[in-house]
Amino acid sequence: MGNETREHPREISLKPLSRDKIPTVTSDTFARLVLEAEGPIAVEFMSYGCAHCRAIEPALEQVAEMVKLQERIFRVNIAVEPELASRYQIQGTPTLIMFLNRNEVGRVEGPSPTLSSVLTAVTQPFAP
Amino acid sequence: MMQTQPKPILLFNDECAVCRHIGHWVQRSAQGRSGETSILVQPIGDDPERLRSLNPDLDIWDAYATIHVLMPDGSMRLGGEAVAETLRNLPNTKWFAWSFATTIFGFRPFQVVLNAAYAILSDVRPLFGCESCGKPRAMKPIAQVTKWAKILFGGSLHPSPHFSSLSAAKRRTVAISVEPLPQSSHS
Repeated sequence: MGNETREHPREISLKPLSRDKIPTVTSDTFARLVLEAEGPIAVEFMSYGCAHCRAIEPALEQVAEMVKLQERIFRVNIAVEPELASRYQIQGTPTLIMFLNRNEVGRVEGPSPTLSSVLTAVTQPFAP
Repeated sequence: MMQTQPKPILLFNDECAVCRHIGHWVQRSAQGRSGETSILVQPIGDDPERLRSLNPDLDIWDAYATIHVLMPDGSMRLGGEAVAETLRNLPNTKWFAWSFATTIFGFRPFQVVLNAAYAILSDVRPLFGCESCGKPRAMKPIAQVTKWAKILFGGSLHPSPHFSSLSAAKRRTVAISVEPLPQSSHS
């Protein structure tokens, strides 16, 4: 039963959405916090009006908590930052882009809203 | 800290053409002859903190998922209840909006119909233009009718996450590649 609970995606979505576990970056802070920062970084391009972004939010928050010692996760609200969305050719939301030392090393569009799927998305590009 | 408002506030999704149209209609209709408005109309916007200053329990994700009316006493009306509250506050519609509060044997038939109507409109709004919803999925008539029937008989007012701008077929992990990013103007 315990295993089912951990693996069942619906269990994740039942958890309440916490507030601001994932910091937002803007075009003013993107270069400093993402491009010039050291270590692996994942950026979620999203908008609050996107139902699919809402669906993955609990899993993403949980993943951010799990990987916080190795990796940082930020979000970009494309409704506020269309220039960033255009620069990174965002076709739809949510899109996760993984950066390492200024370079894009991976990209996942519309991951399933499950813990395992989001965890894989944000960690696989950095796997040795 | 919660801001106290003397009037109800209707929050609408400014990224959705249908919601925007309705929001502007409410704004015009709420204007009395003296220029005073009976209900305030505001776009949801993109600032979670600003919304929390209106009501600490208001979550921006919830605001985009379902129509909200913030009441002066700190409570919130959602979905069909929010629509009824809005109609009660408009000079042109308040004459019939009383019907939504009418109770027959503990059952509010007009409100139930309004809840279902709201849920249906919420689901089909991408067909009329909703930039924030993405492209609508192919309609699944039986699933939709089942869902709307559940709402009609007291199910959740909360619309399901109905639309993704990315179809399941398109969901994929793009091959990992190291490519230089465009030079940032900040760097």
